[in-house]
Amino acid sequence: MLKIEDLKVSFDGESILRGINLEVADDECLAVIGESGAGKTTLGLSIMGLLNGNTAGQINLGDTNILTLSEEEMRNLRWSHVAMAFQSSQNRLNPTHRILDQVAEPLIAHGKQEKAPAREKAAGLLEKVGIEPEKLSHYPHELSGGEQQRVLIAMALVNEPELLILDEPISSLDAKSQVEMIAFLRRAIAGRMTLLVTHNLSTAAKLASRTATLYGGRIVELGPTNLMLSQPRHPYTRALLRSYPNMTTVKDLQGIKGRMDRRVIGCPFHPRCTQAIPICREQIPALENHEGRLVACHRGGIIPALSVTDISKSFKTLKAVDGVSLVLEHGETLALVGQSGSGKTTLARMLSGILEPDAGEIFIEHRKAGQPSKDFHRTVQLVFQNPGEALSHRLTVLEAVREPLEVQGIGTRAEQDKAARKVIEEVELPTTEEFLDEYPHHLSGGELQRVNIARALVLNPQVLIADEPTAFLDSSIQAKVLKLLMNLQENRGLSMLFITHDIAVARKISDRIAVMHEGRIAEQGSTSQIITSPSSPHTQSLLDSAAGLHSDTEIARDE
Amino acid sequence: MLTKGNLLTYLIALLIILTLNFFLPRMMPGDPLMAIYGDEALVQMSPQLKADLTERFALDQSLAEQFASYWLALFRGDLGYSYSYNAPVTEVIFGRLPWTLLLAGLALLLSTAIGIMLGIESGWRRGGRFDSGVLSGMVTLSGFPDFFLGILLLLLFAVNLKVLPLFGAEDVYSGLSGFARLIDIGEHLILPLTTLVLARITGGYLLTRNTMIGVLKEPYILLARAKGLKPRTVKYRHAGRNSMLPVMTQTGIWMGLMVTGVLFIEVVFSYPGIGLLAYDALTFRDYPVLQGLLLVSAFCVLGANFIVDLLYARVDPRVSYAH
Ligand code: SF4
Repeated sequence: MLKIEDLKVSFDGESILRGINLEVADDECLAVIGESGAGKTTLGLSIMGLLNGNTAGQINLGDTNILTLSEEEMRNLRWSHVAMAFQSSQNRLNPTHRILDQVAEPLIAHGKQEKAPAREKAAGLLEKVGIEPEKLSHYPHELSGGEQQRVLIAMALVNEPELLILDEPISSLDAKSQVEMIAFLRRAIAGRMTLLVTHNLSTAAKLASRTATLYGGRIVELGPTNLMLSQPRHPYTRALLRSYPNMTTVKDLQGIKGRMDRRVIGCPFHPRCTQAIPICREQIPALENHEGRLVACHRGGIIPALSVTDISKSFKTLKAVDGVSLVLEHGETLALVGQSGSGKTTLARMLSGILEPDAGEIFIEHRKAGQPSKDFHRTVQLVFQNPGEALSHRLTVLEAVREPLEVQGIGTRAEQDKAARKVIEEVELPTTEEFLDEYPHHLSGGELQRVNIARALVLNPQVLIADEPTAFLDSSIQAKVLKLLMNLQENRGLSMLFITHDIAVARKISDRIAVMHEGRIAEQGSTSQIITSPSSPHTQSLLDSAAGLHSDTEIARDE
Repeated sequence: MLTKGNLLTYLIALLIILTLNFFLPRMMPGDPLMAIYGDEALVQMSPQLKADLTERFALDQSLAEQFASYWLALFRGDLGYSYSYNAPVTEVIFGRLPWTLLLAGLALLLSTAIGIMLGIESGWRRGGRFDSGVLSGMVTLSGFPDFFLGILLLLLFAVNLKVLPLFGAEDVYSGLSGFARLIDIGEHLILPLTTLVLARITGGYLLTRNTMIGVLKEPYILLARAKGLKPRTVKYRHAGRNSMLPVMTQTGIWMGLMVTGVLFIEVVFSYPGIGLLAYDALTFRDYPVLQGLLLVSAFCVLGANFIVDLLYARVDPRVSYAH
């Protein structure tokens, strides 16, 4: 068993790992995921005893803490007990030795086998990882990057180590070879203690039973792989999933706002977190049990930004919304999809505090939202369907965007102007005096909608409800406004409720979809799940009527 | 592997040298005979001899015909006649050449080998006492001109301590033979050889040391360590082998410098190789010998480069791949 306790590694005073606790059972594969620079490779190398930085804590392999071993003892441990399939890179293999010799070398060096049988065994392994026999006597430069990676994997297995560390084992392979390599690795690691470090979540999904998310030198989430990847609880795990291209996500790729910074105090993720609270800036959250996995978050993981329970609204005899419960999580885009008359606009108006519900409750985070108040509007903002109607024709662009600040009484006139100009720039409108003094009737539909969005954003809301924001725009402008909304969502870490009748649009921009029909939620789930295997007939009919949903390329191109 | 293209390069270089060798004396002002044969010949020049020579060099014919007969003579191995030595130039040069080959060849081999070994050790222990010691020693050494080093050694060991012979390649009049003669030759070789090795060693050492330092940061060294190999194996098999590559490329270039080095050293130690011969020929203005020497040394440098190329392709597989 491998048991890592409070492992800390720093180089020249810069902490790379800040107290890692991990356990890998004898026949288990544990994946450590994270973006590059998170410290994954450092973790692998520290177990190999190959770091020349400062190391503290314990790495127990069986009964030995390998951090206390002498260099000579460590040398005997390496490759025989712990081997690492290094990530393939330029000059990873020695350019002046034949690959067969390089693979056979550890067998001979550790006195396991004589030269001839060692080479035979190496040749067999190389063949198994897919190196053609005539390439055995090649030099590294005669092989492709993918072949070099295979060589490195064969090399790691040659001494049959108890603990195998795989560092991005398939990153240099093409798609077809990746499938083969995964199949080979599954066999190779069966019953072997394996630590997989990767940013490739699908590798983790296919090889590891448990997964740990590494961020800023700390583990922020740890649990069963399928749970972590299907319902991530830590905002960073979700962000990783979101930014990772794979076959089961259908939404357009989104990055993670900001960059990793190692010097952060408090929760390492707080500068990029959309739901950070003051304590996040001061204290490091502990890894605690939440929903079947460990999460290091002061708020117990992703929390709802806006939620409603059992909300209803009737107009005379018409039940427009009939007992709907819905959760919009922090930092996500939820698409509410339905035909006209399904009640989605009524629901949106209640959620944004314009309409009062007959029954049911609305929560902002965990707080119950009372009567629509100024406070509520600071948190939740609505972008209307028809941009022309929403703007008073007597206000100039600058005045219109400034108005919400005036109503809320925030800041001096100069500050309001400054804030307004900033959001106008953010929605990619010109900030020339000429444009700012323009009246709505001189603007195009796309410009009007951007002014509307700017108005909604000027109060720095957490939740943006967009009700068919592109319905009145022609398709090329539509695509641009959608792109803008996605960028804003990412950069500001907004939670967005996107209301549309077009499931094709929903698919492109949302993390989750809720389908509405006759005032009720017919179905909800992750976007990929709803699109690929809808369970409600209403979803199916929306899918059938959606334009071009089945030719992916078309949709991808209309950006 | 050496390819046709590579071989062609060598042939072209040789052709250019041989052609220059023909045109240079003919472009000198005055009587080409004088330019070709030098002062010494003129003293002995009778009308009969002059007519002979003119005919021999086809000097009365067109330049093209002269060029043709020059090549014919070359193919016959005829480099002309030396009037100061009263012997054919080929005979004069080949009588001396073995001594130089012995001296320069050994010097090249030893300086490269020792330079590489010390460079590997130094780079491996970068910043340690061994490294600092050798490094400062080498830098000091490289400050001395080679002939100065030679004179210093000569004064110390031959003049003052009288443990080693003062001049020559062997004791010609001692009548030694067999093993005893070999010892004698060895004793005569020590001082000039040491001088040349000391003068040439720094370049190889510094280059190997620097390369070694760079190589030790390469990913394959980390991998070699990860495999649990003995430090010795990592040092020599993985780092050392890759560290000597640049030195091998350089050796071909240093060969040219070796030629001038040999000239000085042979003069200092009166070592009877072609360096000393060149010096004498220069003093006597024996142009045929000088020209012959130019050819022979060009040949040697090219040949040695050729061998280095062959060797290099064996040590670095990437070279053969690149062609
Ligand atoms: S809510 Fe706080 S503790 Fe949780 S991930 Fe965000 S910043 Fe970290």
